[in-house]
Amino acid sequence: MTFLAKVSEIPAGERKLVKVNGVDVAVFHVEGRFFALNNSCPHRQGPLIRGALENWGEGPVCAVRCPMHGWKFDLATGDSHGRPAHATVYPLTQRDDELYIEI
Amino acid sequence: MSIRMDQIQPIIDREYDYLMSEHPHWSLTKGDQDLELVAHALRVLLHMKTTPQHPAEYLALVDCQHADGGWGKLSSDKQSAAWVTAFCSLMLIRGNLLLKNPRITEAVRKCVRYFLETQKEDGKWSDPSWADLDAVSHPVSFFDVLMAVGKNVVDESTIGQVKAAWRKGMCFMLDRQASDGGWYDPEFHPTGVEITAHLIQDSIVADMVLTEELNVRECCQKGVKKLLSVQAADGSWDGENVDHTMDCTRSIMLVCSILGTRAQCDRAIERGLEWILKHKCEKGWPDFPGMETNLERTCDGLDTLLKYKVYSQPVTTAVVKLWGYAA
Repeated sequence: MTFLAKVSEIPAGERKLVKVNGVDVAVFHVEGRFFALNNSCPHRQGPLIRGALENWGEGPVCAVRCPMHGWKFDLATGDSHGRPAHATVYPLTQRDDELYIEI
Repeated sequence: MSIRMDQIQPIIDREYDYLMSEHPHWSLTKGDQDLELVAHALRVLLHMKTTPQHPAEYLALVDCQHADGGWGKLSSDKQSAAWVTAFCSLMLIRGNLLLKNPRITEAVRKCVRYFLETQKEDGKWSDPSWADLDAVSHPVSFFDVLMAVGKNVVDESTIGQVKAAWRKGMCFMLDRQASDGGWYDPEFHPTGVEITAHLIQDSIVADMVLTEELNVRECCQKGVKKLLSVQAADGSWDGENVDHTMDCTRSIMLVCSILGTRAQCDRAIERGLEWILKHKCEKGWPDFPGMETNLERTCDGLDTLLKYKVYSQPVTTAVVKLWGYAA
């Protein structure tokens, strides 16, 4: 596990780009949960950190849409629901005010 | 025009040197590559007029063409895809106007067959990585160029088939323009900015080639008006998206030149370009301001400056030539 960020650095509804072991990780704080995805969209490497947060259908916000060509990924699983590739999601662990990532 | 060429030219020179210093990262002569990046780089060579010095780059693209005439996302991919095949095809047909290499001519013929064989009944091409409007716009653009400058590549009967396929593709695009002048796809292009920029430049050629009944001028005028209406106060488009701002700036240059509406668009083009110049990295351009440089965006940035260089001349035919729509 590698230290990622302080919880207090990413308030609810915010996001942060963190470099971990040379990898750009997009961290989102959504609906009380933290999610960490590889920042590079598997389509054309667009920066997911700049993506719009959306839902699937009527549900709560749980997906990010790449700002370059619109591919949309489940924040928890990276699933792109029908596109040819998925985003890479990293497991997170919270210890008090600190977030750790498995990468 | 308030942006002077003596400001632009040194940037073009420096950025071209930078791109060439990154040659191992985009050249197929150095190994497997992402073919969209390769096509972006080959377009820079074309517009820098250095293609004749780099025939190996174009022949390497021929070497990784599939038997069906297509290419995949990566040069090592075995499955062909419409979008990237169209981009590669465009570079080969345009490059071969200068190189006149029989292997490239044969490769272009295979591209033509690929698109004729893979078009759907309703006029579109499909590519799971892209919206249907994306997947149809690039082959239409390839056919635009084929009909404009490459008719001698294929026989007369094939040109007839190309015209029919082109017309179906063009109708597929034009029929889907929204009443506000934009084109949209709920999954891939919810804001519609990038796809509208692509489609007006692919459509406007129809005005030069054929078919008044398609009413292309009015569609393109509406498309330009839509893009102008969503340009941000700082000159950018689509939430400070460098790629989409470059797309809009370039596309409006071409379309307003052909429509004869430069006076209404000059300021928007300048503002777009000023913003693009303001947000470049020390070397190259990023996807968004403040991010690291990336090679594909650097190619787009160079292409935008090279097109502006031609746009700033009063001769419209030079603009049309640089988009490949005239010899």
